[in-house]
Amino acid sequence: MTATQLSPGRVRKTPAGAAAPGRRRAFDRYLNPVLGAVGVAVVLASWQICASTGVVDPKFSSSPSGAFGALVDSFKSGDVWSPLGSTLSIVAWGMVISIVAAIPLGLLIGRNRVLYALTDPLISIMYSVPYVVFLPMLIFWFGIGADARVVIVVWSALFPLLINVIAGARNLEQSHLQVSRVFCASRLMTLRSVAFPATLPYILAGVRQAVGRALIGAIVAELFMGSAGLGYVVQLKTSNFQTDDAMAAIAVIAVIAVLLNHGVAYLEQRLTFWSRTD
Amino acid sequence: MNDPRRKLVVDDLRIGHWSRRSGTFALACDGLTFDVAENAFVAIVGPSGCGKTTFLTALAGLIPVESGRLELNGEQISGPSRDRSLVFQQASLFPWRNVVANIEFGLKAQGRLDAEGRARVAELVELVGLSGKEDKYPRELSGGMSQRVNLARALATDPDLLLLDEPFSALDAQTRELMQEELTRVWQADSAGSGKTAVFVTHDVPEAVFLADRVIVLSSGPAHLVEVVEVNLPRPRGPEVKRSPEFQEISDYILSLVMSQNKPGRRTEDHDSNAALSR
Ligand SMILES: Nc1ncnc2c1ncn2[C@@H]1O[C@H](COP(=O)(O)OP(=O)(O)OP(=O)(O)O)[C@@H](O)[C@H]1O
Ligand SMILES: [Mg+2]
Repeated sequence: MTATQLSPGRVRKTPAGAAAPGRRRAFDRYLNPVLGAVGVAVVLASWQICASTGVVDPKFSSSPSGAFGALVDSFKSGDVWSPLGSTLSIVAWGMVISIVAAIPLGLLIGRNRVLYALTDPLISIMYSVPYVVFLPMLIFWFGIGADARVVIVVWSALFPLLINVIAGARNLEQSHLQVSRVFCASRLMTLRSVAFPATLPYILAGVRQAVGRALIGAIVAELFMGSAGLGYVVQLKTSNFQTDDAMAAIAVIAVIAVLLNHGVAYLEQRLTFWSRTD
Repeated sequence: MNDPRRKLVVDDLRIGHWSRRSGTFALACDGLTFDVAENAFVAIVGPSGCGKTTFLTALAGLIPVESGRLELNGEQISGPSRDRSLVFQQASLFPWRNVVANIEFGLKAQGRLDAEGRARVAELVELVGLSGKEDKYPRELSGGMSQRVNLARALATDPDLLLLDEPFSALDAQTRELMQEELTRVWQADSAGSGKTAVFVTHDVPEAVFLADRVIVLSSGPAHLVEVVEVNLPRPRGPEVKRSPEFQEISDYILSLVMSQNKPGRRTEDHDSNAALSR
């Protein structure tokens, strides 16, 4: 009697239990972005309410509607393009230089014990010290032109990338190196076909970190020594009490930051699919 | 010494590991002596930790010889060479290369990946039963498939001397059985495979008897030779060989030799007395 009651219950329960994880995952997938959007909306709405009701002075605090208006205006007038292009090109150049320099350099240092011992403390220090502290010095050395700003971006982006590449090159699987040696691969082949792909996940993690720092470097440089770029716009508009325009520029910077992050995450997914364990 | 039938000569060989941290030397093979004839399939069995892997890595040229002779074709082995390849205990495939690219690795490393090389790789894919899996990445392969890629990668460079380090030990009994049959099949079928010598390390005595022409029994570590047992079973060998009385007899004999090396306590004593010979 008990047995006959139990078995249909179990039979019914099994498909439901099996379906639940799938539904759960789909639910999470839509829930998280929705919740995120709600969070943003709540903050923007309270900001708007505070500004509209005069709790805060919109002259100082701007307001979402004002900033949005300024953003639309800047696109309509085309004023946004020149600083946007300037910031993007400096970040791009800085990243290209950092990547081209850090990958071979990092592989070399990571694969050579003497070079590693020689450079490790130096690189650690350069990585740990807040890089913006070198800004006055860099301005002194390189001036305040676009070149100088690229130097600052490289300065910001190079070390996190380098540290990651070195860590990756040092963590190569011993067995992979043995395979390489047994088949008499040349040093160059080992570097290119074993060390590089094995390090790729580290490289991309480094790139993600470096892109964030590169953007910060570029904006800080523009704030400090600006004659162009989004950072300069923020600085200029704020000192002119045009907080709406400043907020609009900040919004553009935020969008760039998010897009860059997602871009690198996408690259990671595409290029290191083989390292996923799922 | 220049007898062409003596492909590989091991004479009073001592090898071991230097520990970088403590600066001590741990002996793995002590006075090992035997030789291997051309075209022979030789299996090495011995207690765990006796130095089989160490011997094979020395044979592959990955670690230096401390003293004694380790000669291939009359020349002392001093490093890796194109005419030897090693099937690793762990498959050690490159996860960023698909099946074909993994098998091609050795040829590519040696600048031999031409049309002929590619044809050979395609042939090997078929031979090890991986047709249709060419574009799969290692994470999509089962353990047995990975080992077959590992084997094909070693065969691809068409080595003179094939070294295999417990290639099937990580597999379940059934897959293992299949792989053994496959290896004999590949060994017997691979046209380029005739005229090659193989050294196969294993824990599994029946496996050794099934595959090999001669079984070399090593002592507990540090390894020296206990006995070389000839396996006079006819080739080609199919799975039915394993049920023959001759097979049982040879297996039992080798097993008794191995067991006599495995007396409890013996291994640790040996290791203690030999573990620390400082330079
Ligand atoms: N990299 C190493 N450094 C120092 N000692 C090592 C190293 N590798 C192995 N040894 C030691 O050398 C001895 C022989 O090890 P080896 O791996 O050759 O044994 P094995 O016969 O292959 O054992 P198993 O059958 O369990 O694989 C062991 O005592 C081991 O502790
Ligand atoms: Mg071993």
